[in-house]
Amino acid sequence: MAELTADSLHAVATHDDHGHISEDEHNSNMKLGLWLYLASEIVIFSIMIVGYIIFRINEEDIVAQAHDELGVALVTANTFVLLASSFFMVMGLRAMQQGNRSGMLRWIGLTALGGIVFLGGQYIEYSELAHLGIVLGFDDASAWSTFGMRFYAPTFFHGAHVFVGVLWALEVMRRGAKGRYDNNPIGIEMFGLYWHFVDVVWIMLFTLIYLV
Amino acid sequence: MATQHEAETVRRPALSEYLRWSVDHKIIGVQYGVAAFLFFMVGGAMAMGIRLELWTPTLDLMASGSAYNSLFTMHGTVMIFLFIIPMWAAFGNFVVPLQLGAKDMAFPWLNAFAFWLIPPAAIVILLGYFVTPAEAGWTSYPPLSTLFSGDGQTLWALGAHLLGISSIMGSINFIVTILNMRPPQMIIWTMPLLCWAVLATSIIAVMATPFLAGALTLLLLDRVAGTTFFDASGGGDVLLWQNIFWFYSHPAVYIMVLPGMGVLSEVLSIHCRKPVFGYRMVGLSSMGIAFVGFTVWAHHMFTSLQPELRIPFMITTMIIAVPTGIKMFSWLGTIWGGKMRFTSALLFALGFMSMFVIGGITGVMLAALPFDIHVHDTYFVVSHFHFVLFGGSVFAIYAALYHWFPKVTGRMMNERLGRIHFVFTYFGFLFTFFPMHIVGMLGMPRRVAVYDPNFTDWNQFISFWAFVLGFSTFIVVYNVIHSYFRGPVAGANPWRALTLEWATTSPPPVTNFDDDPIPFEDPYGYGTEASAAYLDAVDAAFSGGRPTPDGNQAD
Repeated sequence: MAELTADSLHAVATHDDHGHISEDEHNSNMKLGLWLYLASEIVIFSIMIVGYIIFRINEEDIVAQAHDELGVALVTANTFVLLASSFFMVMGLRAMQQGNRSGMLRWIGLTALGGIVFLGGQYIEYSELAHLGIVLGFDDASAWSTFGMRFYAPTFFHGAHVFVGVLWALEVMRRGAKGRYDNNPIGIEMFGLYWHFVDVVWIMLFTLIYLV
Repeated sequence: MATQHEAETVRRPALSEYLRWSVDHKIIGVQYGVAAFLFFMVGGAMAMGIRLELWTPTLDLMASGSAYNSLFTMHGTVMIFLFIIPMWAAFGNFVVPLQLGAKDMAFPWLNAFAFWLIPPAAIVILLGYFVTPAEAGWTSYPPLSTLFSGDGQTLWALGAHLLGISSIMGSINFIVTILNMRPPQMIIWTMPLLCWAVLATSIIAVMATPFLAGALTLLLLDRVAGTTFFDASGGGDVLLWQNIFWFYSHPAVYIMVLPGMGVLSEVLSIHCRKPVFGYRMVGLSSMGIAFVGFTVWAHHMFTSLQPELRIPFMITTMIIAVPTGIKMFSWLGTIWGGKMRFTSALLFALGFMSMFVIGGITGVMLAALPFDIHVHDTYFVVSHFHFVLFGGSVFAIYAALYHWFPKVTGRMMNERLGRIHFVFTYFGFLFTFFPMHIVGMLGMPRRVAVYDPNFTDWNQFISFWAFVLGFSTFIVVYNVIHSYFRGPVAGANPWRALTLEWATTSPPPVTNFDDDPIPFEDPYGYGTEASAAYLDAVDAAFSGGRPTPDGNQAD
């Protein structure tokens, strides 16, 4: 019977919400799970990015014309806001790791604000482009007939991710204010991984669509 | 310890617990299983409708060719997205955490959420049948799925999207559970082969399903937002859909059959009382199939592809027969000289071997370009993929059902009914689908309701046996219901199996194990004195040494 009782192998005493596993195991599960999720996200983005690259190779004229119209100033400022918000994010996690809850709330609040500013910038840009006649749907009459969908699909999909990230940041603040992360900041770290991912995707889109 | 276990009464969850939100992987596993089986019945009824229509070479059951199109579109969609894929999530959910000695999956809440996405997705897809139904086939190639179809196609895409999300979340859960939650004594090379198979399946699902999600997103935009990603007249690319879709759907073929291959290794080893032949190579061949599976997608497009790409895809497609062949020979080596007990589970596992090898060989035939172009879009192709998906996946699902039913419910299934079920399924299947090879090579096209009258005799033969096959399903439904209430009590380990799911009560308690279980050093080390001692210890702990129902204690 000794084989089945396993006295030497007691489960670690600390339990998470489900009462099943230790904190270390919980943290490493959460991180691996999020990495796998991000891997699947990369696939979806890569479809749109590859679609854009093929379009860019085939339709150089339209893209050159688009580069003249797309204001790089606004979107560059937007990119810096997003990059800065990633920095705020890291500072927030660091504050929590040092036990500074109110510091964490401030930094994560700034992160969310960065996301909101970015979305506002994107809204302004979309309005300007719509004014120029660049729309999502195919329009035979317009010189932009096929550019709009290739542009809006990846950037809007990315914007949706920023929006989810802002909601997530607010949820992190709500939970953090209740002291949820005082002992285990894994929840903040998870949000951070996601936010950095969204940032990295934007750098790729920015380079590909606006710079190259 | 023994007294503590004896004192425990084994309680089955109340049936109402299965209708509620639950984060217990055992409840969720049954929820997946029952829901998937219901969809199997729905999809099966549609198959019966298809065979009834094809009884005569003219339109009779269906009002129009379009109605027939939507019927086989729904049949394929329901069987693949709502039956086979969720069915493997059922067995994976119930068995994998138990085999790992874990108390639950890594993310119990996510697990429940992934399941509860399925009913709304099913409602959306099935509702589509009652508006203007999708009729572009389960592959939904544009422009059929964009310019020539109605709202049902939009609902189809939405439902498939939800199912894809469910599948990704479930798979992330499996990967984390299998990689992170094994007991300390169980290294990855002593992990049960079902876990290897589910791991490989889940890696495919996480990496491939997002392609479907991306393709469906673009399809939905084309349908509702006026974009032209897949419309050549608007600067789009029709082949883009085929490429992305098959980049998901070919790996998805292995999502549908790899867990079945894992089941085979378990069932053959346990019911033949022999170690798995070439354990490491079987585990690695699952990974090999997962990897090579991503390199073969364009063999579905031999007739639409740029000609210079045909030969490379022909080669990769033939290469994938190698890891599959490794598994087949491992199974043969496992049963060779074994002490076979012809239980229903073993019969279905042997059925899988005989049918899947036919499906595999026709797969290599279809990989050969000249032959493929000859039988392209004929019943030969229909026959091939039914041999793989029914002769493969469904036979393995039945083997898994007979094998793990005692663990799930604490009752044995009726073996006599199981054998009758096997005979009806085996011959019903063989005589339904084998003649399709012949009508296909004679030139009967697939996806048509009106065919050349010369094929009438063949089609009536096929339809007759299809009805036999349809009838066989009711035998297993009766057996499950009857055995759930009246079946003999199973005890903890009726098959005297070494994997950990049998080292607890049937059904297992809410936390699965009262103590951290210690796995036997080799999950398939049958026939040794050490394994017999381990099995006796399990019996003594959980059933007071009571003999197994078939009275067969010897190993």
